[in-house]
Amino acid sequence: MTTTATSTGPQTGVTLYSFTNAWLNRKFELDGLLKEVARRGMGPNIEIIGFQNFREFPDVSDEFAEQFKEMMAEAGLSATSCAINSDRFLRPGAQPIDDATLVEYHKRQLRSAKKMGFSLVRYQFALPVELLPEIAPYAEELDIRMGVEVHAPMWAGHPAVQAYGEMYDKLNTPYLGWIPDFGGTASRIPESMLNAARAKGAKESLLDKLKEVWVEPGMSHEKAGRLREWALKEGHEPDHIQAASLAFFILSNHDPKSWAALVDRTIHIHGKFYGMGDDGREEAIDYETILPLFRDGGFTGTLVSEWEGHAYLPDDGFEQVEKHQAMCRRIFAGH
Amino acid sequence: MLPVERIIGEEGLSATPEGLRLAMRLPWYRSLPFSIVEIDSVRIDGAPVDLSDAKVEFDGAVWPLKDLGEQTNAFWFVRDSAFLHIPGQSAERGSEHEVALSMFISPPYIPGMKRANTQTQTLRVA
Repeated sequence: MTTTATSTGPQTGVTLYSFTNAWLNRKFELDGLLKEVARRGMGPNIEIIGFQNFREFPDVSDEFAEQFKEMMAEAGLSATSCAINSDRFLRPGAQPIDDATLVEYHKRQLRSAKKMGFSLVRYQFALPVELLPEIAPYAEELDIRMGVEVHAPMWAGHPAVQAYGEMYDKLNTPYLGWIPDFGGTASRIPESMLNAARAKGAKESLLDKLKEVWVEPGMSHEKAGRLREWALKEGHEPDHIQAASLAFFILSNHDPKSWAALVDRTIHIHGKFYGMGDDGREEAIDYETILPLFRDGGFTGTLVSEWEGHAYLPDDGFEQVEKHQAMCRRIFAGH
Repeated sequence: MLPVERIIGEEGLSATPEGLRLAMRLPWYRSLPFSIVEIDSVRIDGAPVDLSDAKVEFDGAVWPLKDLGEQTNAFWFVRDSAFLHIPGQSAERGSEHEVALSMFISPPYIPGMKRANTQTQTLRVA
């Protein structure tokens, strides 16, 4: 690949998830999107969600894997991370799929990711921790690392993260690690998200209540339920409540410094963000506090910029990512 | 409407020898198995359409709509349209109709989440 390992510090890259709007609108084919990312100098390290950009996922053919590697080589990009999914609830309202099927589902995705040249996969906490001893040896055999994504409402102090940490200690392998997603330690709800709810007609009283409930302790879906119950009683429209409730599912407000506990086993980072201000800072997530923990803690992997404003804005994300990468490089360089 | 909210596909509505064919898009950022998709209702010019014999077509495969919940290993690629075949309905080519589609999805890695999506669009029959 074209990566030159002259720097030993953290690298910046991008996940194609940032460009979800342009992708869903069929503005680019995969090769065109890769070339656009390369042309804008956002690589070389990139992340791709298997189930977003690969038609054949979870079982990619040898033929497509070769085509993909050629596309990447031509664009001068490096396949750093492939996001895989722990889809357990395949029948709504019924029991989750059995453990053996879930383990095999992960193996299928690991094989595909390896075949396409990715050096690690992002996986999810929906995988019960006791199944890790069945999957980890397979990742070792394939020689591909696995990072579980610590995504809101999870954070370093969450019981599920602690249970994974104990299993990681027990299995003691460099093939397993963390992928922090900073949405779990947002300092506030992004103003751009609130503005999108306002544009749909949500009233200030609903958004004030949202801000109040969002910082309360408790599970996200319980808090969403609490807001919903209150809002319906107060006569707010279901549409406005759905727009406001988005905040519960993608953001939580734990301590930004709490990431310190996970730095040692962090193999990759999701630089989640929503909007870059004119002051070169992110509107909701305190990067100035978070990134030095990783920089000074010896993290040498890649932070991929992950713009999620497409959950409520029609923008294509390219300019946002450029500004976000500039901010991350500035902080990694110690400025 | 955001791209992720679109459920009526770019290919729109077309007349077939058996009835009508409606293009549908998956309202999510990634591909999902068809088993978690539920087509709630279709209205054409305000009138509810009987979907009891409807079929879903995707990438060469066709399933009865009522069996969609069984398709746990058939993935709806998020860029592509799936097609709802509605037998017994007819519309003249070139005529315009207001189509309202309503769909639920339950993302299979977020327990308990069920999202409702609706879209209404005036379509010219192809």
